[in-house]
Amino acid sequence: MIYLDHAAATPVLPDVLQAMEPYFLHDFFNPSAAYLPAKKVAADYEAAKATIAHAVGAKASDLVITAGATEANNLAFTALDTKLWRADFVRRSQRAEALGTESIFLDAGLGFSSTSYAGTRAEPSLRDEPVRSGRNIRVENPNHFMHQKKQNSVPNASVLYLITEHDSVRRVAEAYSGEPIRVLSNGLIDLDDLRNRITDETELISVALVNNELGTIQPLADVAQIIREVKIDRMKRGVKRQLLLHSDASQALSLLDINVARLGVDLLTLNAAKVYGPKGVGALYVSHEANLHPLSLGGGQENGLRSGTENVPGVIGFAKAVELSKKHLAFNRKKYASWKKILLEELEDYELINRKHSLDNFIVLCYNGIDAERLIFLFEDKGVYLATGAACAASKGVRSHVLKAIGLSDTQINGSLRISLGETNTEEQLHEAAKIINEVVRSEKRRVNG
Amino acid sequence: MAKTVFVGMSGGVDSSVSALLLLEQGYNVIGVYMKNWSEDLPGMKCPWAEDLADAKRVAVKLGIDFEVWDFEKDYREKVVEYMLAEFRKGNTPNPDIMCNQEIKFKLFYEKAMAAGADYIATGHYARVMTRGADFVSAEQARANLEKLPEASTELVIPAQPRRSFKRFARRAANCEQNLPTESSSYLLRAVDENKDQTYFLYRISEEALAHTIFPIGEMLKPEVKKLAAEHHLHNAYKKESMGVCFVGEVGMRDFLKQYIDVEPGEIREIESDRILGYHEGAIFYTIGQRHGLYLDGEKGVVNDGMPYYVVKKDLAKNIIYVSKNLNHEAVWTKELRLKDVLIRGSQEDRPWDKQVLTRLRHRAPLIPARFDGEILHFESEVKRPASGQSAVLYDDKICLGGGIID
Repeated sequence: MIYLDHAAATPVLPDVLQAMEPYFLHDFFNPSAAYLPAKKVAADYEAAKATIAHAVGAKASDLVITAGATEANNLAFTALDTKLWRADFVRRSQRAEALGTESIFLDAGLGFSSTSYAGTRAEPSLRDEPVRSGRNIRVENPNHFMHQKKQNSVPNASVLYLITEHDSVRRVAEAYSGEPIRVLSNGLIDLDDLRNRITDETELISVALVNNELGTIQPLADVAQIIREVKIDRMKRGVKRQLLLHSDASQALSLLDINVARLGVDLLTLNAAKVYGPKGVGALYVSHEANLHPLSLGGGQENGLRSGTENVPGVIGFAKAVELSKKHLAFNRKKYASWKKILLEELEDYELINRKHSLDNFIVLCYNGIDAERLIFLFEDKGVYLATGAACAASKGVRSHVLKAIGLSDTQINGSLRISLGETNTEEQLHEAAKIINEVVRSEKRRVNG
Repeated sequence: MAKTVFVGMSGGVDSSVSALLLLEQGYNVIGVYMKNWSEDLPGMKCPWAEDLADAKRVAVKLGIDFEVWDFEKDYREKVVEYMLAEFRKGNTPNPDIMCNQEIKFKLFYEKAMAAGADYIATGHYARVMTRGADFVSAEQARANLEKLPEASTELVIPAQPRRSFKRFARRAANCEQNLPTESSSYLLRAVDENKDQTYFLYRISEEALAHTIFPIGEMLKPEVKKLAAEHHLHNAYKKESMGVCFVGEVGMRDFLKQYIDVEPGEIREIESDRILGYHEGAIFYTIGQRHGLYLDGEKGVVNDGMPYYVVKKDLAKNIIYVSKNLNHEAVWTKELRLKDVLIRGSQEDRPWDKQVLTRLRHRAPLIPARFDGEILHFESEVKRPASGQSAVLYDDKICLGGGIID
């Protein structure tokens, strides 16, 4: 097998698996439990979080662990006062108060894992309200609800997102009526378009550090600089509105030296599954500028922002994976750069799509006039696995919006392949892969041309 | 110049092997995935993307061209709308029959012909025999049939595959040479009686039928699977795909609930008029149905271990009548009135007043009956199928046509 799709998933490294194992078998305690072994687990968990946080120049307390990058991206957008469920929630709790039941909100600052039960019994006249008779409303006490009174978002908050964002940002941004920022044909953010689109209503801008289809590294510091200028201008004019920068760095963590302060981001999404850690574990870095709202309520873990018993083995594995990729970062970058060179030299008759500004392990090729999905199935037969931006069944027949955004034609998109190199590869494999790809493409071209 | 065939590929093993056989027989083959439905339903993920990938994977493996034809809008208009309208009337329509009539053997056929097809093909278990415009008597046709492999009238799979693939391919090739271009065609039951799908095909147009190849109609399902495995088709043992997402009674009910507003109503015992329980909406129930009844009536009346059957629906009052009497006249009948009768073939093929075999459900046994053009007369009582279902008529192996049960 030659696996060339590391941007889609990476295997868990043996060292990572080994680090995780004790937390499945022996140190399985709930970190919230009172006894010492559980406290040890809690401490290990915090230490692991610190490792992850330090890797991006942050503190453990700035991280919210999530079940992957998608959740982290969704959580980031709660920095915009969510109209979705919160208003209803507040109304419900006010109703409960009006009914003379125990207050739902405890005082701020009780913190970790404090819960209150407001036993509400709805009057018949309230039946259309969400308060159901005979059912307790269980509410945890995130401090953020208290902050909310102070820092109210004014309605009409607007969102900007890079048009090439992953669906886990794009779809959320669309739900907040976000506007896309254009990219240039080289895949980089169009900074002029960004400047033009920022208005006094703009509260959140989301730009991925590395694009997941092209590997394009975005100049986030430049984006942050623009944001800084806008903020200063707003202050001068007395416009009170937050302006946050969110970045999905899922693809970047293994090969870029990330520092939240240097990048100037307020929210940063991280993902274990792309750095040889376990799937279903991610993190959101949250600066003190951003006030988030939990997507799920419960035991109040992760500072009340992400309730649910901590995924201890997952986070331990995440930390180990981060540690390893940090250690080998420089070596790996050099390695992938040289491998990329091998492929580009040995492959035939292709068009290279991501010429510049791209991570070393991303190679996006185009075989014009060929249906890349057919190639995928032919490669699969020969044990070579890679991805396409074509309108294939895997994408439910939708062509890559990323390749469209950089101005590729439909036939170009249909003929595009994404190779993402990684730890499972060897140099010999790349010679072999080039040979197989050449052969398959040649025979498919023969078939098409009769 | 090789003849061109557009084969409908669903991603299942039957249509995959159909494409394979056509290719081996020297046709110029183009695979087409018909995208008819893609919506997920509550508790049911529509597998269209996976099916499409399976179909394409096979097409690529065979090295044939592959296209996706989107019939979703048409499917919604022609099949789903019809289905909902029928359910609203209290009938139990068969969407697969409608899909074959309106989509696969109409729109797909027309589009394929326009794209230069000589034939279309699908992975149905059925056979076509075409005879020239010059008259061939039914006896002769039947004699010709003798040359074809026997269709067993019993629902058993023979332990041994009947013939080798090569022999079959040769025979199919011979048949093809004898096909006149302008002709009337017979739909024949498949060799594999267990799998015969002519019940779903009886309404397809004669024109489409004359230009249709059913490559696996002479094979048994195990042979098809074996052939797929021998050719390393990855879906050789794939679970049978049904084409539509909402097949099955439970799925149908969930589906209908999204489109049809229903009111809960009473379930009454027909003999006593007592209320035994309540139902979710009368249209969800079919005559003869036994399961899915929410009965909580008087103790000992309902819970004596004997099942209740739906024997009558009063849509106006939204009442379902049930009975324990298995011999209730609503459940059994010696006569069935058919509407929208469609009979294929020449005048002497018409089944008026002659003995025919009828099939009242897919894979149900063949029952002798006499058809007078409107009413099917059975020798002994048959369990009444739900109105809206089809009765399909056969003369020996020939599918003559059929009608929709009134």
